[in-house]
Amino acid sequence: MMDIVLQLLFTGIGIGAVYALVALGFVLIFRATNVVNFAQGEFSMVAAYLMVVFSVDLGWPYWLSFLLALGGMALLGVIFNLGVYYPLRHRTFLPVIIATIGASILMANSVLAIYGPQPQVLQGWFDTPGLQLGPVYLDSQYLLIIAVTIALVIFNYWFFERTMLGKKLQATSQDKEMASLLGISVSTMIMITFIYSAVLGGLAGILVAPVLFVSIQMGSTIALKAFAATIIGGFGDVAGAIIGGLALGVIETFGAAYISVPYKDGFAFLVLIFFLVFRPQGIFGERVAEKA
Amino acid sequence: MKLTRRDFTAGIVAGILAPHIISSARAQGATLKIGMCAPVTGPAAESGGYAVKGAKLALDAVNKAGGVMGKQLELIVEDDQTTNPGIVLAFSKLAANPDIVGFLGSIRSTQVHAMAPDVLKLGKPVMIGGTDPNLTHMGNQWLFRCRPNDSYSGRVIAEFGVNTLGKKKWAVLHSTDAFGTAGGKALTEALTKLGSAPTLDQGYANQSQDFTPVVLAIKQSGADILGSYFTFENDLGIFGRQLRQLGVNIPWVGSPSITNITALKLAGPALYGTYGVADYAEDSSDGSKAFGKIYRDAVKVAPDNQSSWTFDAINVLSGAIKTANSTDPGKIREAILATKKFPGAEGEYNFDQNGDGLHGYNVVKNDKGNIVFDKHIEFND
Repeated sequence: MMDIVLQLLFTGIGIGAVYALVALGFVLIFRATNVVNFAQGEFSMVAAYLMVVFSVDLGWPYWLSFLLALGGMALLGVIFNLGVYYPLRHRTFLPVIIATIGASILMANSVLAIYGPQPQVLQGWFDTPGLQLGPVYLDSQYLLIIAVTIALVIFNYWFFERTMLGKKLQATSQDKEMASLLGISVSTMIMITFIYSAVLGGLAGILVAPVLFVSIQMGSTIALKAFAATIIGGFGDVAGAIIGGLALGVIETFGAAYISVPYKDGFAFLVLIFFLVFRPQGIFGERVAEKA
Repeated sequence: MKLTRRDFTAGIVAGILAPHIISSARAQGATLKIGMCAPVTGPAAESGGYAVKGAKLALDAVNKAGGVMGKQLELIVEDDQTTNPGIVLAFSKLAANPDIVGFLGSIRSTQVHAMAPDVLKLGKPVMIGGTDPNLTHMGNQWLFRCRPNDSYSGRVIAEFGVNTLGKKKWAVLHSTDAFGTAGGKALTEALTKLGSAPTLDQGYANQSQDFTPVVLAIKQSGADILGSYFTFENDLGIFGRQLRQLGVNIPWVGSPSITNITALKLAGPALYGTYGVADYAEDSSDGSKAFGKIYRDAVKVAPDNQSSWTFDAINVLSGAIKTANSTDPGKIREAILATKKFPGAEGEYNFDQNGDGLHGYNVVKNDKGNIVFDKHIEFND
């Protein structure tokens, strides 16, 4: 019994860590621009395909392909900011959201047109597929995902709390006008946010691709759950995105094991509805009261 | 009669348009058109490509032999996007063309169900690859199946596993769409009749990202054999890997997707040693071998059931039109139902009154990545 619980817990945390990485990208862009980026899932997909191009088609070393793929995602972040957000930055949130949806569709269909519909296999970082720890099998790719997520949480804390650039990014996300009055280049901060979010999304895609295979649909599947995780954790809260993602992964894995496998995806959205009804600010969000 | 400006203008317009209309009408009558709904985009886009290739190979061969009723065949493909709304839209576009005399539908039962009402309304023959037995037993006289339905696949899986492999404790795993549900039910019923009711009957939703709970359930059930109905190869690949990673090495007899090229590529060694019921097995008959050679020569890869059924569908449909010597839907229908002992790539077609052309399955084994024919099991009831 305990071995089953431990196995489910490991898998739930592993898949939850992927949701957390993508959710972090949602949160960072939302905090900086007040807009939900519905193309965040496609960042994961594009990065996975870049890995296939570099490491499989061109046969370059895995570590080099990884760095180039992340570099490509940084460039995509720049293009995305300049092409999607920047022209609409003075508009209300709705046109920007619609633009991100359009960008998502454009990215998916561009990859389809260039690469074709065939799903691809991407090898993991390690030759050993996993470790057997007593009765529990630890997939090496999930171990890597969890390790990277922990490292990123630590990095995020250090970066946003201990560096001047991180504090400038926080200031921009809290109050753009005041930040500008204090001499912070708001447009530069937003550009850095998009680059960082694109790299985060790409990292999630590259890490999960050896498990889920590389396909056009992989991004949207992860993004939907990551979006739910963001709301559960508290929209706009970095810690909430991580906790929400991990919690979602565990909830749906245990729900599938002990309640119903076919309705696995439903558990995530049941939890989402529960939070929207009873605690709309999420676990870590602050309730925003409006004057009548 | 006084020529007005309006009359003059009308005459000029008629003079410009007339050649286009005449040549268009001439073009429409020059070929016999067959419509095909296939996934060009979506999760099954890769297999959709194979399906179109199979149909075109048959088309080319028919045309090379002189066509049908003195006309060349023309295939018109519409993208069904691998979705139910997609195939309804694709079929409606094709159905709007009055020159199309017959159609190829989907290999996915859920999609055939979605388009079936429009097929009934249109009243023209549609060749299908979906294997849900209900498709030819729900009162729609225009659906003709070019693959054996799941009542046969379930019986063959059960027969092979129980009587050939000698396994009695079954775990049955199936997707929760129309195909998986019907297939799982057919397998469970067949096993029950053989005295081996499943110890686990587990459904899963398509496009699942993780199968750990399913694998653990199979492990806990104590099953000594697994029977499966997977719709999408992505899911099969993820499940296969996790099954072996978590140490479950029981024999596995699956529905045809377990033998597909895509599944073999994605799951790799996880599928070595598994068995599949395959409607298409290259070494199972002369017709299968002949198709295999044509396909390999043209496409340079091994064929699978994604292309074999469309190859047969074009041949059966064009043969029926030739026999009927008419494009009247009712006459084509009668000719299809009268098709007996037709040697196709999938096997020998003997259409029954429900519209089912095949009544048995091949069992194949994954021998380190090579699919090898094991035996054929046929039912004559």
